[in-house]
Amino acid sequence: MFLKTVIVGFLLGVTQLCFALEPERSVIQILIYRQEPDWSAPWRFDAVQRAGGSGFVIKGKRIMTNAHVVSWCRQIIVRKYQDAKPYLAQVEYIAHDCDLAILTVEDESFFDDLPPLEFGEMPKVRSTVVTYGYPAGGEEISYTRGVVSRIEMSPYSHIGNRRLLSVQTDAAINPGNSGGPVVQDDRVVGVAFQGIQGLENTGFFIPPTLIQRFLKDVEDKKYDGVPLAGVNITSLQNPAYRALLKLPDNNLGARVDRIRPKTGASEVLRPDDVVLRIGEFPVASDSTILFQGNRVFCALGFQFGQSGDSVPVQIWRDGKAQDVKVKVTAAMDDQPEGNQFDVKPRYFIFGGMVFTPLSRDYLRNAGREGSDSSGAELTYELFFRSREDPSSAREEPVVLSSVLSDAVNANFSVRGRMLVDRINGIRIEKLDDVIRAFETSTNAQDVIEFGKHRSIESLDHAEATRANPNILKTYGIPKDRHL
Amino acid sequence: MKISSASKRVLAVAAVYDRRPATPPRTFGAHRAPLQNRFVKPLLLVLLFTCGTALTGLAQNPSAWEKSVVNIEVARKSYDYYQPWNRRNDRSAKIGLVVGERQILVTAHELSDHTLVRLQKNGRGKWFNASVAWIDYHANLALLTTDDATFWSDLRPADLNGKPPGEGAKLQIVRWREGKLENRQAEFTQFTVRQSELSGISHVQMELDSEIKGAGWGEPVITDSRVIGITASQAGRSCKVIPAQFIRGILEARRAGNQRGLGYFHFYWQRAENPASLAHLKLSGEPRGVLVINVPERPDNQPQVLQPRDIILQIDGFDVDMQGDYVDPEFGSLMLENLATRGKWAGDDVKLKIWRDGKPFDVTYRLPKYEFANSLVPLGVYDQPPDYLIVGGLVFQPLTVPYLQRWGAEWERTAPFRFNYYRDNEATKTNPSLVILSQVLPDKFNIGYQEQRWFVVDKVNDRRVTNLTELNEALQKPKGEFHVIDFTPNESLQRIVLAAGETERTATARVLERFGITTAIQITPKKAAAN
Repeated sequence: MFLKTVIVGFLLGVTQLCFALEPERSVIQILIYRQEPDWSAPWRFDAVQRAGGSGFVIKGKRIMTNAHVVSWCRQIIVRKYQDAKPYLAQVEYIAHDCDLAILTVEDESFFDDLPPLEFGEMPKVRSTVVTYGYPAGGEEISYTRGVVSRIEMSPYSHIGNRRLLSVQTDAAINPGNSGGPVVQDDRVVGVAFQGIQGLENTGFFIPPTLIQRFLKDVEDKKYDGVPLAGVNITSLQNPAYRALLKLPDNNLGARVDRIRPKTGASEVLRPDDVVLRIGEFPVASDSTILFQGNRVFCALGFQFGQSGDSVPVQIWRDGKAQDVKVKVTAAMDDQPEGNQFDVKPRYFIFGGMVFTPLSRDYLRNAGREGSDSSGAELTYELFFRSREDPSSAREEPVVLSSVLSDAVNANFSVRGRMLVDRINGIRIEKLDDVIRAFETSTNAQDVIEFGKHRSIESLDHAEATRANPNILKTYGIPKDRHL
Repeated sequence: MKISSASKRVLAVAAVYDRRPATPPRTFGAHRAPLQNRFVKPLLLVLLFTCGTALTGLAQNPSAWEKSVVNIEVARKSYDYYQPWNRRNDRSAKIGLVVGERQILVTAHELSDHTLVRLQKNGRGKWFNASVAWIDYHANLALLTTDDATFWSDLRPADLNGKPPGEGAKLQIVRWREGKLENRQAEFTQFTVRQSELSGISHVQMELDSEIKGAGWGEPVITDSRVIGITASQAGRSCKVIPAQFIRGILEARRAGNQRGLGYFHFYWQRAENPASLAHLKLSGEPRGVLVINVPERPDNQPQVLQPRDIILQIDGFDVDMQGDYVDPEFGSLMLENLATRGKWAGDDVKLKIWRDGKPFDVTYRLPKYEFANSLVPLGVYDQPPDYLIVGGLVFQPLTVPYLQRWGAEWERTAPFRFNYYRDNEATKTNPSLVILSQVLPDKFNIGYQEQRWFVVDKVNDRRVTNLTELNEALQKPKGEFHVIDFTPNESLQRIVLAAGETERTATARVLERFGITTAIQITPKKAAAN
């Protein structure tokens, strides 16, 4: 089930604190100025937006907050309570998949009177937690108290294509709370990060396991990501299926349904293997493990360590149990399917045609996802083709995002939003191929083929080459490419 | 005939990447008043009576049309594709036109799956039982008749020889309304080539502008004393009309014993407005013609005569311009798709002049017959209940557009993305149609699968399955004690295993009993030469 999740962050006013107690002294207000690119005109940025969130002081003179609070930032200002002075901060590490970030402050005296908060253990369901932060609806620091409602794997909406462990609480988590600590017994047991549109009394926070994993991940000064095994495990409860696999009817074991190619799982697992145990956790037939008293989807078992770790897995194959090790990695090849941050979109412009890699950001920016035939084709290409028909999938599908009007392309019927199939006979597997296809052309006309029906447009190569600098100048584009 | 060029351009732009012309979303009866409002409610009747009299303009010879226009009432079965074993009763009201010896012309719309068709003349009085003598869903036309001689005694065939009207011509739409012949003004707008109401085929249609409400059910459109078409649909003030010329051609072919059905151009083309593309293809002379871009596998076994990058210069002797239009002697400028139906039938040859490799060629294109099964996801299913197969509570159905339309008015956006995406694909020999798991009716037999649905079946017991007959055959050959059902790759579930044999048969029987379903298998055999 996919719930529509919505990030809570943003919104703030000036704060004047005159009274506070521990640990709120270490809760930080974060103001940011951000600017996001326009994916359909990738050299351009949208208007600067002001937004706000929360954070808290951790060991080593650092501030922890959410990745979504500081993504695409142009400037970060942090303020501590009872202090009007704005301090400039910078992102030291950012983890878009688990929505965490660590900031440093230029003037280290900022931390002088701020004791770092300590992390606690995973809170128990039904126990009470307090959130601290600077949410919308007022100026002062805000506390909300609630109980831990449940602990399970949920979609992380910042990245958009990950399900990780998260904790649900009925403590109000509102825009501006993002990045603020969730506290129990004076220890941080979570970082508030998202809510669900349309549901009341449901806020989510990032649990200590993910926070600790993140802190360990960056010990080597770089962030790799939450490791994944690359396997889709489904429940195995039908007696006939269990009988076919000669599996005892003991409510244990979930089935390997699909394996992502070129992953650790593809090396040792096969479809119809039955996963009996992941690490220390026995896997139940509904594909869950029991984690600290909570039934949680078993993929969690692969997510505790670091990229490159091997996780011991017990499987059932050919009627008997076997032990294997599955290498887990922080997969980055599915980035275009998720939201991307802080990296300017790549593009190449020739003859007024703007080529850019197809991505979730591009589709969202272009709007009308899948609602017309070309939108549907792009949606299929990005999210479905590599799974349904891997032999025809491209490494990095390229889209003609727009056509900058000029005499050289005035006769085009295509105006953009088309999947590029071939240019001058070269099949376009990635953006580099576009450049190669144009730059090695010896034909009088360049021929570009689009989409599954292979409609074509052509350009006079010499004219287009001559026109390109003027087109860039006319539209104020600094360079014909960003790669 | 002068054609409004502004609205035509809109059409042509949409046609660039798709051989099918743009059509507004299908309405399937959205614009009609419920039957009881039109015939039964006495209060409304009084009101309408007054309005009707006030608004009705008198035709030159009103009594003439009273002898040619009849009311039609259709009782029909309708189906719920979510629960394909269920049937409902529906009623439709239509208008018919006497066109010949014991022949009444109607549109095919909402005539399918009829259980009883009745006729009423003079707008009142006795209803006569009728039968459907002929129906063609692609042409959206049908002929009704009745054996009752008294019905025909004072009726007179209408003259279908109306000439195409000029721009802004004043026309009338005629129908029975509360026992009176209603005669409403309509203004001719344009001729366009549009997709037929019930089919993927395109042919010339007439657009009218009128204040009439609830039309589009076969009302004749007249000028002077002749019929120039019958209405096929209405959206807002705009009525789509099947022109008399198109109707005459089909009726004459039928009379001559030629009922091969409508053909079409089974390839994709785009406009040739980019001179650089024409230069690349070495076309000499003025820019003209259209570019063939995609030539899918033919549905018949005829050889392919076209290939991508051919430029079509002439079709059936008509020059094709770079917008893809030709000048029709009767209707003026029309999109080239119409040349597949202009006096031509499925299986006929059409002469094409094409440009290939820098030289002109003459080729002969044999028109394939338009069948719903030519698409991977058939657009229509008529005169048969929805096919389904239930095994142990798992419900399998063919993927069809009527199934997707069950998602409601916004089905093109709200039905599962992949199913909608597949609609754009042609049927091929290796991939002729799709079978889906549409739902699981819960039973202890299928525990663990009860939330699974909307997967495309790939193989059952290692045999490839593309239709329910193949599925049924594959289920006769279990793998030992099990059925192994593989779905095409997806994110949720790729395989289901069920117990085969006695356990399965008992479970299926139990599911049928519990959910009140009479039969586990409903498969309509393929008709050899269906319309």
